[in-house]
Amino acid sequence: MRAILTVIWRLLAFVGKELVETLRRPGAILSLILGPFLIMAIFGAGFNGIRRELETIVVVPTSDQLPTEASDYQELAGPALHIADVVQDRAEAEARLRAGEVDVVVVAPEDPEGAFRAGKRSTIEIVVDEVDPVAENYATILGSTLANAVNQRIIERAVEEGEGYALAAAQAQASAIPADVVSAPTEARLMNLAPQAPTVTSFFGPAVLALILQHLAVTLVSMSLVRERSSGVMELFRISPVTASEVLTGKVLAFGLLGFVVAGLTMVLLVNVLGVPSIADTGSLALVFGLLLLASLGLGLLIAVVSDSERQAVQLALLTLLASVFFSGFVLSIDQFTPPVRALAYALPVTHGIRLLQDLMLRGTTNNLWEFGALVAIAAVTLVAAWALLRRNMRTA
Amino acid sequence: MDAVTIDRASKRFGDEFALTDVTISVREGTILGIIGPSGAGKTTLVRLMTGALAPTEGEIRVMGEDPLRFKRRTRERVGYMPQSFALYPDLTTRENVDFVASLFGLLWWRRRRRTRQVLETVDLWSVRDRRAGKLSGGMQRRLELASALVHDPAILFLDEPTAGIDPLLRTTIWEELSRLRDDGRTLLVTTQYVGEAERCDAVLLISDGRVIAAGTPDELRRTAIGGDIVEVETAGPIDTSVFRQVEGVGRIEQRGPNQVRITVSDAATMLPEIVEAITSAGGEVATAAEARPSYDEVFAILVERSRAAQPKPQDGEEQAA
Repeated sequence: MRAILTVIWRLLAFVGKELVETLRRPGAILSLILGPFLIMAIFGAGFNGIRRELETIVVVPTSDQLPTEASDYQELAGPALHIADVVQDRAEAEARLRAGEVDVVVVAPEDPEGAFRAGKRSTIEIVVDEVDPVAENYATILGSTLANAVNQRIIERAVEEGEGYALAAAQAQASAIPADVVSAPTEARLMNLAPQAPTVTSFFGPAVLALILQHLAVTLVSMSLVRERSSGVMELFRISPVTASEVLTGKVLAFGLLGFVVAGLTMVLLVNVLGVPSIADTGSLALVFGLLLLASLGLGLLIAVVSDSERQAVQLALLTLLASVFFSGFVLSIDQFTPPVRALAYALPVTHGIRLLQDLMLRGTTNNLWEFGALVAIAAVTLVAAWALLRRNMRTA
Repeated sequence: MDAVTIDRASKRFGDEFALTDVTISVREGTILGIIGPSGAGKTTLVRLMTGALAPTEGEIRVMGEDPLRFKRRTRERVGYMPQSFALYPDLTTRENVDFVASLFGLLWWRRRRRTRQVLETVDLWSVRDRRAGKLSGGMQRRLELASALVHDPAILFLDEPTAGIDPLLRTTIWEELSRLRDDGRTLLVTTQYVGEAERCDAVLLISDGRVIAAGTPDELRRTAIGGDIVEVETAGPIDTSVFRQVEGVGRIEQRGPNQVRITVSDAATMLPEIVEAITSAGGEVATAAEARPSYDEVFAILVERSRAAQPKPQDGEEQAA
């Protein structure tokens, strides 16, 4: 009984000590939160990327005798869209869109010929499920491009067929067709299935939060441990009955608690001051915060045990931040990186934190459940490695 | 019973021996002073005994256990004060002691009482709420001492506890160390203040990684000097040959026309014989008394003697740094 009490007491001693030490350096906390914003602003201003082609399903009406081969639509779609499939069931296409299998669903208009005869413009619906405002805008542009390509094709055929495809199709009613319908028989209309209309603030808010949490956890915990290693406190730990696992658990609990408080306060600011919507349930959010903090603390502890000095730990923490800004999907989509770099991106806790927080806050759910597992894996690997190295370090020299 | 036994222990860092062939034993309930110049190997010896370092050769036992394999309960009975300040500057004096007490397994009801006790002992209770980083160097050493004492250890390793502390407080600290010894605790204290050897039950002199002398303070003095010293001043010039007739007289040092310093086997019995020899030779004794050379002198003699006894490096052979 006494042994259990003493272990608990040691852990609580670490928790108390870490919290008091950290709170007595408010300047450090302030710079930790403001620093990432500054770097991100500079990088974001200079970014100009090229997107991958979007996976697309074309939905053709059941009543029409339109072709059902993807290749028939690829030329019209252009290089930015890859026609993955042509289906007749719109609901099925939208389900695949919601599941994240494809990026865009293009719905061909019902009876365009009839509409044209009636002097009405047909609408090509472009359906996306996007919380990223940049991606949504991109889909709008692609939709317009597609509609223009269809219109161009119709006009070309009109010219090729002498009297014109449009007039032939309209026959007697041709004179009643407005000129703008003749020149552009179809138009594109974007439809977004996401429950929240995407804005820059709502999209980047959760990402900034994830980045703050990772940076806070990595920096605070690595500085705390590396300072103890360089100051000689580790010598005291070596001689005292405290174990490496107790040292690490104490730090994880302390900085985890601190991270939760920062996460809660930042959420309040994001939602109430910046107006970022959040439809996530509290339990899921807490789970993401917890796993993100755990994985980030593991990374920070690993940095601390491999660093020779406080300076080296600071450099490694900054490199982690830079890598996070570049590769986590914060600004550049991860899909735009080569597979080895993508692997690096997936090794960063913030990559998964950003995606999960954006999904949960803006969609209320996520298709990327594996990212919870990825955070658990990162936490497990880094914490075990840090424990093994610290244990060796705490053993006799 | 011996609290510590070390048998032919050596410690090598790379190609260089920091300690060579150390053999000592420390009785329970005594203070062993480990004295030597900076870089002599005192801290290495302490770290070997605490288990922070593994010996390259030899065997070490502390409280009957190999320090490298101390049980958790044994560790709770060991106190350690490192040479450099190794506490938390952002925590207050009391919080630092409280934290160390927790590390050593003190539960709250005992911790609170012990924290106050040790802070009062080292005269830091009045600054208990001041951050450690704001304390003076001397106060920080006392804070570390308090932290080493807080869990009431059976054996204490103190690495230069009085460094940077004013003489008055050094006296207080040594009184506290003596009190701990009287309570049955074993203390191993390193110091550069040679004069502090007098306060120890046994002294280990270390130089260049070797033990050059070990024993009680008196034994060490006699080893260095080769006996006791008698200082004599006469009314007129003195002929030192008169002392050769006295049995047990060793070295004779003429320190002035009327002053002489004589090494004798036993000052108490030989002082009257020396006075008699002067009087018999027609001299008149102004003063005659036993002189106690300072430990600085004793230490210097022993170190010089040890260095002279070391084999000199051959031509072309580099002396280890």
